[in-house]
Amino acid sequence: MIIDVNAYLGHFAFRRLRHNTAAAMLALMDSRKIDKAVVSSASAITYRNAQAGNEELAEEVRGHGDRLIPYAVINPFYAGWQDDLQICHEQFGMAGLRLYPKWHNYQLSSPCCRELVDAATERGMVISIPIRVEDNRQRSWLLNVPDVPLEEIVELVRAHPKARFILLNGIGYTGSPLGRKDNGLPSNYAVELSRLSAVLANELGQLITNLGAERLIFGTGMPFNYPDPALVKLEVLDAGEADKEKIRSQNAMTWLRL
Amino acid sequence: MTIPQITLGPPASQPRVSRRTLLKGSVAAAVAIGAAALPSACSAAVKQSASGTPSGPFRKGRVIDCHAHLNHHSRATWEADDRKLIEAADKLGIDQLCCSTLTPRWPATADGFRECNHWTDDGMRRFPGRVLGYCYVNPGYGREALEEIHRYVGDHGFIGIKLYNEYTCTEPVVFPIVELAIELGVPILHHAGHSHYFVEDQPRMSDGGHLAELARRYPEAMLICAHICGGGDWEWTIKALRNTPSVLLDTSGSVTDEGTVEMAAAVVGVDRLVFGCDSSMTAGVGKIRAANLSTQDKQKILGENMTKLLGKRKA
Repeated sequence: MIIDVNAYLGHFAFRRLRHNTAAAMLALMDSRKIDKAVVSSASAITYRNAQAGNEELAEEVRGHGDRLIPYAVINPFYAGWQDDLQICHEQFGMAGLRLYPKWHNYQLSSPCCRELVDAATERGMVISIPIRVEDNRQRSWLLNVPDVPLEEIVELVRAHPKARFILLNGIGYTGSPLGRKDNGLPSNYAVELSRLSAVLANELGQLITNLGAERLIFGTGMPFNYPDPALVKLEVLDAGEADKEKIRSQNAMTWLRL
Repeated sequence: MTIPQITLGPPASQPRVSRRTLLKGSVAAAVAIGAAALPSACSAAVKQSASGTPSGPFRKGRVIDCHAHLNHHSRATWEADDRKLIEAADKLGIDQLCCSTLTPRWPATADGFRECNHWTDDGMRRFPGRVLGYCYVNPGYGREALEEIHRYVGDHGFIGIKLYNEYTCTEPVVFPIVELAIELGVPILHHAGHSHYFVEDQPRMSDGGHLAELARRYPEAMLICAHICGGGDWEWTIKALRNTPSVLLDTSGSVTDEGTVEMAAAVVGVDRLVFGCDSSMTAGVGKIRAANLSTQDKQKILGENMTKLLGKRKA
């Protein structure tokens, strides 16, 4: 079984996405033998009112709950986020969040964000944070959205030991306390592999050594990204089959409480 | 079937992933989504290589990484890192890597690029049949740059020229290099990228538009626009090169945006695409494996187009 914790449906403001409907995504997943995928609204990244994206997503995944696991995009600086969180969790059945602090222009350390993290944790929701949406060098002339600095993540996971975080689209963890052994941080975060190297520097292998295979999770970034680069990483990774199986699906089942 | 054992270095601790295994899932994938079969170009390469060493320097069916780098020897781990590159190629089913060695700081001095080319030459000896050399020069050194190309392309069998960002490719100082490449019948792999902002640390970086302009000036030159997936606006780059048939586009780079390879194939044609990694190994292989193109088209991208290009070398 393969579970992808890093997938999206909907439109992105700056590039045409394909495979971005539920039907097309499921066909793509079938073609790669990916059983389940956590999806959030790509549109919600740039909608002012992210909840509109969540509503579109809820509609799109209806009838596909066995394979598409919807996550909400919440902006804690937007009016009514508490209501949105409640609706997403209780009505739409969204068991987790994706946060975009740089795209939505807030600090992870801000009181509003901390309040959102606490509220989501209270509900048992997973909080995933994409470190980036796309490579900054190809950005539109309209905006310049930096990656989320890993130092800000360090402070967040430290401040919320009971929360459960999944870090998406990141790289360079081994140069940060997040990827170091005995880092003094709570074990409340897992790292998704779509941008990690599996050969040459082999950051993936280093993270298995430093954090344990239990903290690594499979993800692709579909349909922003091709799925195969992530699949190839697992295929060539110099690790035992037991560890690969954890990364492929077992860890996701544990972290997502499937 | 395992990867052809034509490399040097110690065996991997785990069984190597065979190219056939690596590709099997993709073929099923292509069938499932109604696409043409995925990269059995690699399978063809396996068949070619099954007997052991390649049958010739430019045999059919090879998978060629058109954009690779050996490590500068100022790096303490350069030798082990070079070996890791070959091991990664083994795991991923890449037969040959077209490598340059770059200076750690730019602009490169003449002594700097001479040292690099000497090390590339050494790499060709350390990994015979696996590493093909690009001669890296800074065009600003004029005569010394031309002599270097004569020495390494003419006498040492390097397959082409690597130009970086010291000059924009439309600056006249670059023209003698292009004219020599035409005379020798070898390609120029030119660093390129297009961002919608001024890239301060690369003020003279070329982009697809510059390469198109150079190609119009020298239509007989064989130019390769480096790493269309290297971080700039790849849609811009592909469109900028639509009408310049002598420019090939290298698919390397860390960006794995879905649809890149298909758009490039649709706009410029598969005959103008060449596979590369530029050290982003799984990204490089994964995007070709994923692309919704026919087996024949993938064979062209993975090696046939580059083989054809290298076959144009003049004696």
